[in-house]
Amino acid sequence: MTSAAPLTLDQINLFDPTPFEMGEAHAIFKYLRNNKPVFWNDGPENLVGTWNLTKFEDVVAVSRLPETFISSTGITQMKLAVPESDGLFGDTSGNGKMLITMDPPRHVRLRRLVNKGFTPRAVAAMEAHIREITTEILDGIAGRRSCDFVLEVSSQLPLAVICGMMGLEKKDWPLMFQLTNKVLGAGDPEYQTDVPEDQRGSREAANMTGAMGFMQMFAFFGQQLQKRRVDPESDLISLLCGSEVDGEALNDEEILWFCFLLILAGNETTRNAISGGLITLCEHPDQRQKLQSDMSLLPSAVEEILRWVSPVTHMARECTRDTEIRGQLIRAGERVTMWYPSVNRDEDIFPNADTFDITRTPNDHLAFGIGEHFCLGAGFARLELKVMFEELFRRFPDIDMDGPAERLRSTFIGGIKHLPVRYTPAG
Amino acid sequence: MKVQVNEDMCEGHGKCQNAAPAVFRLREDDVSEVIVDVVPAEEVERVERAIRLCPRQAIKWVSQT
Repeated sequence: MTSAAPLTLDQINLFDPTPFEMGEAHAIFKYLRNNKPVFWNDGPENLVGTWNLTKFEDVVAVSRLPETFISSTGITQMKLAVPESDGLFGDTSGNGKMLITMDPPRHVRLRRLVNKGFTPRAVAAMEAHIREITTEILDGIAGRRSCDFVLEVSSQLPLAVICGMMGLEKKDWPLMFQLTNKVLGAGDPEYQTDVPEDQRGSREAANMTGAMGFMQMFAFFGQQLQKRRVDPESDLISLLCGSEVDGEALNDEEILWFCFLLILAGNETTRNAISGGLITLCEHPDQRQKLQSDMSLLPSAVEEILRWVSPVTHMARECTRDTEIRGQLIRAGERVTMWYPSVNRDEDIFPNADTFDITRTPNDHLAFGIGEHFCLGAGFARLELKVMFEELFRRFPDIDMDGPAERLRSTFIGGIKHLPVRYTPAG
Repeated sequence: MKVQVNEDMCEGHGKCQNAAPAVFRLREDDVSEVIVDVVPAEEVERVERAIRLCPRQAIKWVSQT
């Protein structure tokens, strides 16, 4: 990770997914925190440039001003300078249409439709159910000595939880997994299966993959929505069908975008936190030993895993009025990108920030963001991590990596696509 | 000084109650409420911490008097 030659600013390009795919982004962030904490990066090709924020306090400051730093023009750094022709697919950006890409005051009102289902108390009531799902998942690998931990374990728990909340039938869960990968992993050749093999890896292949995932997702949820309009059930989609904001019922498009966000956010991020957590514990045997000999340390270990892994790599905002950050003028219309893996290792906030310490206190990391757009599913993520590691280490105390992890080619999601593990079969 | 919780923003994380239990109380409906009229001087630091830690940044001072 630190073997690379000394960095210089003109070598740094945070639009390049390669260091993220190689697990080498931390060296870049450390350099930026120490040398250029508010760093301008020109956009390559047709992308808009952005200010890159790598210090904790700067990201908090921006997050506290959701009307100055807005989300409705896009929340990733991939913002087109000149919009491409909408063509066959229409506007697939979702800007302004989902909670995550919406500004106050509408964001507050829309979020209130569902947020009572996500409070710590509501989440705690789901623990027995989450443990049941976890047990079933681990039963599935118990008879063997090895498996792909991502495909068979870490992806399956969050997928089952969010699909269950949305009332989706089990037969559709693998499709949701596949389409999530296409949408959020569009830039990774592994998921560009709709594109001929010799054309994978190109920008066009990424656009095509994302668009195909998007269309299939909307087609699927369109059918789900029609079913519930006729025959409501007690799930989240039915709840949205019966909901109003400012006296107006949500229309089909709004509900479909809501479903799109719930399924993506609900199953991709926690998957990577679980996988990243296991990798981190395997790479820090002393900490792992400490945890396995005293599982009451798990809640604090979960927080440290979240800090260390920071599964969501960035969120971007657009500045609406001239604002200074750390002495740097950010002009109205310019974009800023907040890098969570960096702020969570900010030496000014976390003593020995580069040490993985499962007993770290305080540990007020920003893995879930902060403020207006604080992760709605944070409680579920924490509980799923806790239950998974309790059950995993209880049944497979010697589980270990059986080869290198394969990371997602993305600057947005700290994804882990595959993680070979070996263990002693258990009952 | 007075402190206020924005009930539209609060999602019941309870960080404020942990930081300053003499000032904030998490209600049964998962919304935090301020249980003092005026924040006593000895609680100010704890309230500052609650303001800083609130995941939704739903807490703010409302008057400096």
